[in-house]
Amino acid sequence: MTGRLLRRLLLGIVTIAGVYTLTFVMVISVPGNPLQQSERNMPPEVEQALKARYRMDNNWIYFGQFLKGAVRLDFGPAFTYADWTCNQILMHSLPVSLVIGLLAILIAVGVGVPAGVLGAVYRNSWLDGAVLGVVLLGISLPTFVTGSVLLTVFAVYLRLLPVGGWGTLAHLPLPCVTLALPYAAYIARLTRMSMLDVLGSDFIRTAVAKGLPRRVVIGRHAMKVAFLPVVSFLGPATAQAMTGSFVVEKVFGVPGLGQHFVNAALNRDAGLILSTVLVFSSLLVVFNLVVDLLYAWLDPRMVDAL
Amino acid sequence: MIHKLVLTCVTLFLVVLFINSMTFQEPRADLTYVNPSDIHTLDPARISWVQDFRVALNIWEGLTTWHPRSTEPIEGAALFPPEISPDARTYRFTLRDDARWSSGEPVTAQDFVRGWRRAMEPGSAGDYAFLFNDHIVGAAEYVRWRHDAIGRLTSLDRGGRPAEAEAFFDEHAVELEARFAQVGARAVNERTLEVTLSGPCPYFLDLVALPVFLPCHPSIELLRERHRGRPLTPAGLVVYDPQWTKPDYRRLGYPGLITNGPYQLRDWKFKRRARLAANPHYRRADTFACRTVEMLVYDNLNAALMAYEAGYVDFLPELSVPYDHELARLSATGLRRDIHQCPVLATYFLNFNCVSETVNGRPNPFVDPRVRRAFSLGLDRETLVKRVRARGDRVARSFVPPETISGYAPPAGLLCDPGEARRLLSEAGFPGGRGLPNIIVLSTQSDERMCQAVARMWENELGVKVELQTKETKTFAEDKARRRFFVARGNWYADYNDPTTFLDCLATGNGNNDSGYSNPEYDDLLRRAEEAADAASRAAVLARAEALIVERDCPILPILHYTEPIAIQPYVTGLSPNARLWFPFRYARIER
Repeated sequence: MTGRLLRRLLLGIVTIAGVYTLTFVMVISVPGNPLQQSERNMPPEVEQALKARYRMDNNWIYFGQFLKGAVRLDFGPAFTYADWTCNQILMHSLPVSLVIGLLAILIAVGVGVPAGVLGAVYRNSWLDGAVLGVVLLGISLPTFVTGSVLLTVFAVYLRLLPVGGWGTLAHLPLPCVTLALPYAAYIARLTRMSMLDVLGSDFIRTAVAKGLPRRVVIGRHAMKVAFLPVVSFLGPATAQAMTGSFVVEKVFGVPGLGQHFVNAALNRDAGLILSTVLVFSSLLVVFNLVVDLLYAWLDPRMVDAL
Repeated sequence: MIHKLVLTCVTLFLVVLFINSMTFQEPRADLTYVNPSDIHTLDPARISWVQDFRVALNIWEGLTTWHPRSTEPIEGAALFPPEISPDARTYRFTLRDDARWSSGEPVTAQDFVRGWRRAMEPGSAGDYAFLFNDHIVGAAEYVRWRHDAIGRLTSLDRGGRPAEAEAFFDEHAVELEARFAQVGARAVNERTLEVTLSGPCPYFLDLVALPVFLPCHPSIELLRERHRGRPLTPAGLVVYDPQWTKPDYRRLGYPGLITNGPYQLRDWKFKRRARLAANPHYRRADTFACRTVEMLVYDNLNAALMAYEAGYVDFLPELSVPYDHELARLSATGLRRDIHQCPVLATYFLNFNCVSETVNGRPNPFVDPRVRRAFSLGLDRETLVKRVRARGDRVARSFVPPETISGYAPPAGLLCDPGEARRLLSEAGFPGGRGLPNIIVLSTQSDERMCQAVARMWENELGVKVELQTKETKTFAEDKARRRFFVARGNWYADYNDPTTFLDCLATGNGNNDSGYSNPEYDDLLRRAEEAADAASRAAVLARAEALIVERDCPILPILHYTEPIAIQPYVTGLSPNARLWFPFRYARIER
C-alpha cells in the first residue's frame, strides 16, 4: 500500500513538472512583454533593468528561479496587479474556488443520487421520465445560460439572493447550484444506470425473496454496489469543479481562481500564469489521489486499483 | 459504506463552512459603485487607468484638483491660483494651512518633491513620467543621467565585472542628491513649493492634478530597497516594497498607507472590494454626506448592471455591455433618466502606416499621402457611428474632440467624397483600386464589427480588396508597434485638457506615433505653439497643425469621439457626468 502510494505521488510530481515545463515554453514563446502593462513604450534601459530584477533576462534562469520559489511556495510578484504578489492573489481566490467547487459537488451528489435511484426504482414511470428529462436539460444547457436564468429569476425578480459578488452565505447558493447542475445530471444518469444493473442481480432477488422491506433492499444492499461508479466519477469531477468554474465565476462576479487563470494569460502575466497552472495541476493530481484513497476506504477490495 | 459516505460529505461541508467563515461582511456603505477590473495599482507613480485615477484622486489630493462638472483645475492642497512669474516659467505653490495627512501630520512641500521624484525615477516605470521630462526644467537631464547609469550598471554586472560595478555604483549614489538639486522642483520651506518649467505650459495647473504629481508620505522611505547602505538596488533602480499601498501593511515600522485626500483607504480585498472612509483630518470632512464609499468588483458588467437594477449598487461609472446601444437609445429618448451619456475626451481612429516600405512582403501604398487621403474620403463615418456602432458616440472629423477644450476649435476635417477619393487613387497610380495589394487592416476582437463595416465601404467605394486581421490584444499591440499593418485601429484618451495631449502623439519620434508619421512642418508648428505669446495665437497654430493631419497628410483617420454611458441611481445627487469621468465622492448625497 505504502509503495503504491509513493509511486502515485512520484507520478504526480512528474506530471506537474511536465505541465510546468510545457506552460513555460508557451509563456516565453507568445508575443507580448509581461513588464509592459500599457500600450506606451518603455525605455530599453529600464526594461532591461526590470527584467534583470525579476530575473527574466535569461529564460532558463527564470525557469529555475521560479521553480525554486514555487517549491518554497513563493510565487513572486504579479505584473498586471503590481500591488499584489502571486501568493496574495492565490490566497484571495483559491479558497473561493474551493468552496464553490466542493459545495457544488455536494449538491450534485445530494440531488443526483436520489434522482437516479428514484428513476431506476420507478423505471418507465412518469417519475423516471421526469428524471431523464431534467438530466438531459442539465447536461445540455451550458452554465452561462443556467447561471444567467437563475440570476435573473432569484436575484433580480424575486430579490431573494444578492446579484453576484462574494462575502456572505447568501452569495453561495446561485453559483454553487449553477455549477452543480451538470454534475448532478451526470451523477443521476450514472446512478440510474448502475442501479438498474444491480436491481436485476441475484443477490437482490434473494433479499426480496427473504421478505426484506423494499427500503432496506435498496438503501442497504443495492446502494452499496450501485454507488461505486459514482465515487470513481467524483475524483476528477471534484477537481474539475474546483478549477474549472471560470464561466460561473464570470457570470456571478465571483472572485475565484478561474478568472486569473484566463486573465493572466491574456495579460501575459508570466508569474501569475505559472503559479495558477502549478496550483491547478497540483490540485488535480492531489484530488485524484485522495479520491482513490477514499475509494479504497469505502470499498477495501479496491486497494489494488490504487 | 453509506455511513462512511455521509461522514465524508459532512466533513467536506464543514470544511466549506470553515473556509467561508473566514470572510465577513461590513454593513452597506453610504455609496456603492462598481469597478469591473479592480484597481490595477494605487501607486501614484504608475497609475494610468481611469478607474485607478478615480480611487487615487479621492484618497490623495494634488496641488490642484478638477472641478466636478467642468473638470477645470480648482484649489487642491495648495492655495489657488499659485504665484506665477511673468515669463510663466516659475510657479510658487503655497500649501494650505489645513492640508493634513490621514495621520494628522501637516502635508509639506517636501512630501510633494518626494512624490514627484519617485514618479520620475526610471525604476517606477510610470506611464506618465514623461510629463516631468517634458515640462520641468532639469528633469529630462536627470532622468537621462539615471538611465545611463542603470544601463551601465546592468552591462557591467552582465559582463562579469562586479568590482567595477560596485565602484561605479558608489560613485553614482554619492552624486544622486547633487544631480537632483538641478531639477526644477524645490521645497523652499515647509509650505512653499517652487516649480521651474522648461517652457511656458498653459495647462500646467491642470496637469498637477494628475496622480503622477501627488505627494508621498515620508513613511514610504521605510520600505525603500537599499544596497550597501545606499537607497538604490544593485542595478541602480529606486524600488519600494510594492505592498506600501495597503492600509494594513506593517513591516519595518511602516504604519500602512497614509494619504491626504478627502477619503482614506480602509480596506482592500483583491478582486472583491475596496472601502473608503472619510479622512477625519481633511478640511470640513464632517460635511461629507457619504462617510463611507464601497468599490465593488464585478468582472462582468452585465452582473453589475443587474446588481444596480436590483438596488445593491448606487453608481456605475462604466457600462460597456454588449447591449450598450440599447442603453444609449433609452437614455436619448428619456426613458431612462438615470443613464447618462458622457462625451469624453477620447478619439477612435485608424492609423495608416506612413513609413514601412513593405508589410508582410507586400509594398505599402500608404507611404503616398494621396492614397491615405483617398481612403479617408472613401469612408462614410456617419453610417459607421450612427448605424454600425449606434451607441451615441460623436462623429469625428478631427483628432481633438470639438467643444470640449475651451479656446480651441479643431479644423473641419474631410467629408465623405467617394468621387474625389477615386480620382486621388487613380492619380496615385491605382485607377479603380487596380494595382493595390490586399489592404491589411489590423484590429482586436472588440473592433471587429466596425472594421468589417470599414472594409465593406472601401471595397464598394474604392474597388480595393481588404484583408481583416483580428488579433488578441497583446499580439495586436506588438504587431502595431512593429508596424505589421497597412491600417490599424487606434484610440487615444486625453491625459489633460489641452489639444497637445492628442497632437503630440503624431510628432516625429513620439512613442505613441503608431503610424510613423514624420513631417518637419508639423513638428515645427507644434514647436511654434510652445513659444506662442498668447492663448489665442497658440490655439490658431495648433489648429493649423491639426489641419495637416486630418485634412492634408492624413496619417490617421479619426472616426468617432467616444461617449461613455454611466448610470447613477435617481436618489444619488452630486455626481455629475463629465468629460473625464472624474467623480469626487465628497459631493455625493443620497436622498432616498
